[in-house]
Amino acid sequence: MFDRAKYAFILPAFLVVLIIGLFPLIYSLTISFMQVRLVPPVPPSFVGFDNYTEALSQPRFWSSVRITFLIATLAVAVQYVLGLALAIALNSTLPLGRVYRAAFLFPLLMAPIAVAFIGKMIFHPGVGPMRDFFGLFGYPDPPFQTDPVWAIGMLVTIEVWQWTSLVVIILLAGLQSLPRDVYEAADLENASRWQQFRGITFPMLLPISAAVVFLRFVESLKLIDTVFVLTGGGPGIATETLTLYTYQEGFKKFNFGYTSAISFLFLILIVIFGTVYVALIKPQLEKRT
Amino acid sequence: MKYNKKLATTAVALVVSASGLSATAQCSPDYTGVTLTAVSQTGPFIASALKMAADKWTVQTCGTVNIVEIPFGELYPKFITGMTAGNVDFDVMTFAPAWLADFAPYLSTMPAEYTSGAAWDDIAPVYRDRLMVWDGKVISQSMDGDVHTLQYRTDLFGDPKEQEAFKAKYGYDLAPPATWPQYYDIAEFFTRPDKGLYGTAEAMVRGGQQFWFFFTHAAPYVNDPDQPGGMFFDPETMDARINNPGWVKALDDYIKSVKFSPPGALGFSSGDIRTAFAGGKVAMNFDWGDTGTIATDPKQSQIAGKVGSALTPGSTEIWSSKDGAWKTYDSPVMSPFMAFGGWQAGVPEASANKEAAWHFVNTLTNPENSIQAAITGGTGVNPYRTSHFDLAPWLGLMSEAEATSYLAAQKGSIEAPNVALDMRLPGYFSYTEILEIELSKAMAGQVTPQEALDTVAAEWNKLTDQFGRDAQKAAYRASMGL
Amino acid sequence: MSAIRRPSHWPVTIFCFIWLLITVFPIYWIFVTSLKSPLSVNGGPTYMPWVDFIPTLDAWRAAFSGARGDFIGPLMNSVAISLTSAVIALVIGSMAAYSLVRFQFRVRLLAALSFAAIAIGGYVGLVHGVGLGKIAGLGLAFILAFPTAVILNTRNLPGPVLGNNDVVFWFVSQRMFPPIVSAFALYLIYAEMGKAGVPLLDSFAGLVLSYVAFSLPIVIWLMRDFFAALPVEVEEAALIDNVSRFRIFFQIVVPMSWPGLIATFMITLSFVWNEFLNALLLTTAQWQTLPVWLTGQNSYRGDEWWAIAVAAVISITPMIVVAAALSRFMRSGLSAGAIR
Repeated sequence: MFDRAKYAFILPAFLVVLIIGLFPLIYSLTISFMQVRLVPPVPPSFVGFDNYTEALSQPRFWSSVRITFLIATLAVAVQYVLGLALAIALNSTLPLGRVYRAAFLFPLLMAPIAVAFIGKMIFHPGVGPMRDFFGLFGYPDPPFQTDPVWAIGMLVTIEVWQWTSLVVIILLAGLQSLPRDVYEAADLENASRWQQFRGITFPMLLPISAAVVFLRFVESLKLIDTVFVLTGGGPGIATETLTLYTYQEGFKKFNFGYTSAISFLFLILIVIFGTVYVALIKPQLEKRT
Repeated sequence: MKYNKKLATTAVALVVSASGLSATAQCSPDYTGVTLTAVSQTGPFIASALKMAADKWTVQTCGTVNIVEIPFGELYPKFITGMTAGNVDFDVMTFAPAWLADFAPYLSTMPAEYTSGAAWDDIAPVYRDRLMVWDGKVISQSMDGDVHTLQYRTDLFGDPKEQEAFKAKYGYDLAPPATWPQYYDIAEFFTRPDKGLYGTAEAMVRGGQQFWFFFTHAAPYVNDPDQPGGMFFDPETMDARINNPGWVKALDDYIKSVKFSPPGALGFSSGDIRTAFAGGKVAMNFDWGDTGTIATDPKQSQIAGKVGSALTPGSTEIWSSKDGAWKTYDSPVMSPFMAFGGWQAGVPEASANKEAAWHFVNTLTNPENSIQAAITGGTGVNPYRTSHFDLAPWLGLMSEAEATSYLAAQKGSIEAPNVALDMRLPGYFSYTEILEIELSKAMAGQVTPQEALDTVAAEWNKLTDQFGRDAQKAAYRASMGL
Repeated sequence: MSAIRRPSHWPVTIFCFIWLLITVFPIYWIFVTSLKSPLSVNGGPTYMPWVDFIPTLDAWRAAFSGARGDFIGPLMNSVAISLTSAVIALVIGSMAAYSLVRFQFRVRLLAALSFAAIAIGGYVGLVHGVGLGKIAGLGLAFILAFPTAVILNTRNLPGPVLGNNDVVFWFVSQRMFPPIVSAFALYLIYAEMGKAGVPLLDSFAGLVLSYVAFSLPIVIWLMRDFFAALPVEVEEAALIDNVSRFRIFFQIVVPMSWPGLIATFMITLSFVWNEFLNALLLTTAQWQTLPVWLTGQNSYRGDEWWAIAVAAVISITPMIVVAAALSRFMRSGLSAGAIR
């Protein structure tokens, strides 16, 4: 009875994910060892690790890895700090609290492609308000699209704008499920706010924080829309992310064998990152309990 | 011919009804029950022309057309995935000529009944005999014309004070530039940042149609009239020519344009240069026919009524790859560039309704429907038939002076003896991608023009070898009509 | 009173207010841009209707005329598909998350590896060696691999044993793979299914299935932490009373988890609502969704900001309605917390 429930609960999800995920994975793995190109078409042939060695020897691959991880790290760090601060603020009774909560959801609800369009509009040298904004500081027309540093700053800003709310709503839900009695005890001991944050809130939020940071990081690594619309990966390849690179190889050149190999290398990188991340965060989580 | 055809179809209908079948004169040919799926980029451009034609076709044949709209950037993957997976769920596809090389194995040939007669002869030869043909077979139908032309402000160019000042400074009369050096003189002359006026605007951002603008710069230097089709590759060996002195000079020019462009020009896509021109911020630009139709529309433009059009600048010097030297000419040779080459319609071999689909394509592009589309705002259809150059229908759209100069520039460009064709090759995207990357590096000053183009040439040669040099050579020659 | 409940007001208020401005400004910007004429957009940035530009409804009229692509159909499709997918994913995903919190799973690494080996090897052998079709090869490989792995798992095999964390990691890893190739592979398999008589391309079921699979990792990943925070005592009491696990889950656990469920539902819904690549490849005429239409507004003829703004407003409006409805739940969660 007990055991049957255990499997009955997990089986629907397990089977759906396995069945939908299995073929793409097997297919990609198979063709990553083959030369499979749709345009111009070539007969598929087995090439061993050639696709992988080709990718690893491409400076463009490494450049896109570096840029992807740079953007994701910057964006997620800012999102987490900002998101935690906002969640704590919103968990208190604020004037207009409900307005904030509803409004903070907006960016999250927008398609990344729409956000990319809006970003392009706002940072546009001719029609965008950013121009006026930087003009206030006497520096109109920063080289958003043509200077790598400005371009990456712009992409990180948009990423933060869109996804901070996701961090906020998850952390807010986490805060709401914290037991109140701990704080009452802390109040009795006259703990300062900062002490309460360090001693109670932050540690207790750590599991959900770890989850949300990891989720955001993995999703950030797949950044494509804003890059595609705003810089096209340029100047040169200075803002080309891994997903954009895979997209170009896969959906423009239809070089699927090679694209699959990059995808698996990407997967391996994320798994390495995930393992290191879990290894680092686990002692922290266990310290708590 | 138009009347002949009507007669013929009526005759067919009569015969059919006489033989006791239920076809009526309203449905001729009778495609009752036929539903065509036509795939286009998301409207209004091109899709709205399809819609106009679909309504007419329904009235004529009683068949229906279901128009599926796909974002422009995803159109190519959508077609390729469908055709290579053997899952062709569309009957009519609209696409860019550059993709024809990749699509050719999957496309059906246009039925012979449509490839003769007055309506056929009316199509401008560069489309009819060159862009619509692949390997000697007509496998697509142009439904739009595309060539880069120059646009300029007639109020500035016609202003006696400006003319006088220009002549005093440069020693010749202010007029639409006939050569690139003149273009830069004029651009420099009108660059007045304090007044918010700049010389020109060109698309320069990676992924913003940038490389077509570069090709337009290059065509007058490298489209050698003595070696037709040798602009991009050596048609004998398929060696890339993109790093020869002509191309490098063109890239030097292209980079020079930044100086005379509005701030942020390095981030401009082709859309931005239209609005820059229509917003009165620049004295000139060069672009497809769209700048002309947008800038003359008072709803979208601050300079409506003041738009002149001309051929893009030519050159008195042409690099001859054969001789390895510059050849000089007494008067500029105009080499307008057929950038993109105009939208085309085709019918996949695997379509279940090929006959009806080709009939619809014919309805879409026949002289009376296509001029209607060309002069309707927002269809994105630019002239591609000789009959499109009649002035009268255009007067609803722009002033007489503007229309005259617009049509003359369009017509002059596509009929120019040394008109340059766009590159069409299997694996097209692989070639243009590396070009875009290196161009944007050169524009941002990360590499010199020579370095950038050397890299492109090396990569192009590598790609050609990878894709099969002989196959690529044959395809390139086919695309250039050699 | 604790610091968390009532911080000093003014710095917090100002901080939230600044972020509110940053959040809302782009939304305001697209809204006003949707009311601009091409002329007032291209002249440079303008901010207030009637103050620095004259508003017009032209862009809205153009959108509703269908000239920029039909959006009513895709809108309806998107509503139906995303609600269905998000609800299904939330239900089966939180069930899975619950079982991963309350039960111990033990998967022997060797059994898992044998599944992978038999499935992949079987597929490669059957398709490339024997020459079976993709569907038949995959089906047969799966039928061979799954029971073998299940049986092997009951044996006392040597090697490490994977626990719940590894199962969760497996679920999440499904989202780590770059979507380009897997979307194409899904397209291929759907096309093959269509030839075998099960039409999944351009169908409601096909798209929902892919989205449920696409959302489950997020739901499981998030809900597990919410369930883990729940006190176990109530459930233990119920178990002693012989209440079935399903009733415990739906009548005790779910009501206690509303804030987390709502937040997760919202996130899932927005992911599905905005998903583009599957929507593009797996649909043609019937079930095209809103992001496909929206992406198409970026025409190669140039950026018509007014039209893009209209499209962005249209695509976000249904989500704002949902968010407004759900923010009520979020608030009740909050006030429940305040009372507790």
